[in-house]
Amino acid sequence: MLDLIRCEFWKLKRKMFVQLVLAASFLFPIPLTAIIYYLNTAQNKYATKAAAFDALWQSVIGFGMLLLLPCILGIVAALLFFMERDNDTFKNLRTIPITSSQMVIAKCIVLLLLSIAFCISSTVASILCGFVFFGVTDILFKVLFSAIYGLLIAISALPLILLIIFFSRSYIFSIMLCVFYSVFNLLSTFSMIALPKWLVLTLPTPSIMLWGTQQMSSRTAINDTEDLQNFIQMGLIPSTPQLIITLGVIGVVSLLLAVYLYKKRSE
Amino acid sequence: MNDYIIETHNLTKKYGSQTSVSHLNIHVKKGRIYGLLGRNGAGKTTTMRMLLGLTAPTSGEVTIFGKPFQGNEKNILPHIGCLIESPGFYPNLTGTENLKIFAELRGLRSPKYIKNALELVNLPYRDKKLFSQYSLGMKQRLAIALAVMHNPELLILDEPINGLDPIGIAEVRDFIRELCDTSGKTILISSHILSEISLLADDVGIIDHGKLLEEESLKELEAKNAKFIHFCVSDAQKAAKIIAATFHSKDFRLTDANNLYLYDMTLPVERINRSFVESGIEIQEVHLCEDTLEDYFKKITGGEGIA
Repeated sequence: MLDLIRCEFWKLKRKMFVQLVLAASFLFPIPLTAIIYYLNTAQNKYATKAAAFDALWQSVIGFGMLLLLPCILGIVAALLFFMERDNDTFKNLRTIPITSSQMVIAKCIVLLLLSIAFCISSTVASILCGFVFFGVTDILFKVLFSAIYGLLIAISALPLILLIIFFSRSYIFSIMLCVFYSVFNLLSTFSMIALPKWLVLTLPTPSIMLWGTQQMSSRTAINDTEDLQNFIQMGLIPSTPQLIITLGVIGVVSLLLAVYLYKKRSE
Repeated sequence: MNDYIIETHNLTKKYGSQTSVSHLNIHVKKGRIYGLLGRNGAGKTTTMRMLLGLTAPTSGEVTIFGKPFQGNEKNILPHIGCLIESPGFYPNLTGTENLKIFAELRGLRSPKYIKNALELVNLPYRDKKLFSQYSLGMKQRLAIALAVMHNPELLILDEPINGLDPIGIAEVRDFIRELCDTSGKTILISSHILSEISLLADDVGIIDHGKLLEEESLKELEAKNAKFIHFCVSDAQKAAKIIAATFHSKDFRLTDANNLYLYDMTLPVERINRSFVESGIEIQEVHLCEDTLEDYFKKITGGEGIA
């Protein structure tokens, strides 16, 4: 499997994709730094520089990781999963023999690694900006937490990957799917209170966001305590085992269906 | 146990109501080149795809190296090298990088495997040219290099000379022949080009509309070719009567008033000529003719289509 994963990365050579993904991780930290710097200096919104940095980091998580990353993962998934179809290399791999499930798992692991790299890179970008304009605290926690976020978001993007394989259309169609998925995530996150509890606990992105908010609350200098208490009272915040089960079920079902579809498509 | 490397038993593939391959029974002997000959769309590629597990048969069985293919794919496939349809590689990588991926997945760690394979097909090692910039011939050569890189016992090559220039065709032909003769490889090769199969194959299977029409050694097929003598004379009717009365043979055919085809090759041609002249028949032409393999294939497949 390690060989297969290494080969998946070799296949991306000259595609500039890893570099672009990492570059995209700087997309939000830079403008968000400017906004928070303005809010901090002009309006004195944050009590300390550490609080201003934490506000920046949380914004980066919200916009960069929860909103942008699934979209990027979907596009990379389309590249990875359409690669064998477009280049007619299925036959070369299957006669080695590499099974469809091995191929799907290797490609998903590549996505997972890219997702973790993106999240860590986003946090590192925030930390770099934080060093210049704010006060940075608890670096190790933030880096580790972003790595966990990368893992969770990659799993939450598996239904999107399943859809991409299911439709198996052009890249433009896949990008449209990714945008739709991100908008859907955004809407479901904004309308959490209005949605039935079971749905909030089932939807991967709101679940990750709520779980993350609670985990971060004791380690960050700013706390939206009131909102958090509301969510706790409403029972919307999943426990760690609950989140693992939800994402585990979503991941396993998506993966099994993706293997089945990929096998069918490759014949 | 027989010495067949590949054996199929009533292999059938249906796509909906269309039958692509029907009850195919082929037998590929060890250390020989088996040519699967057929027109475009005859079912050659589908057959090869089923042999490699790329397409599941609707019914029937495949036995390779004496073992049923189904259930033994992991043991059988590493001993097979193949080229199916057009060459499939990653366009953003060079030839060497492409081979490196497949070598890595096959567990071939040493670069000598890639180097040797590229040398065999006359492609440069560590060239900077990307696969997307390759000519059709170079792509085909790279696909052949991939097929032989891991030194397989069995090669399954679907139209391997597609896209090659005449010199390339001759090189690949010699190379395939050498693989069989010196390394003892068993090779199954498909083509719609009769001359290629007749120059290369030891055994031939003729497939048409998914059915195997003939399976014989090339020598046996060549022996089947009809020989005859063609007389172009002033009165073919009278000539026919002379052959029947004087030489006691009815193995001939008249096509018109002047042309007679004699199939009985045991008769003395010089005496027939003399008899015709003595009977006042003028002889314009006499030819010894032989049906070519192409004629034979046209006859059994019922038409044109094999080059």
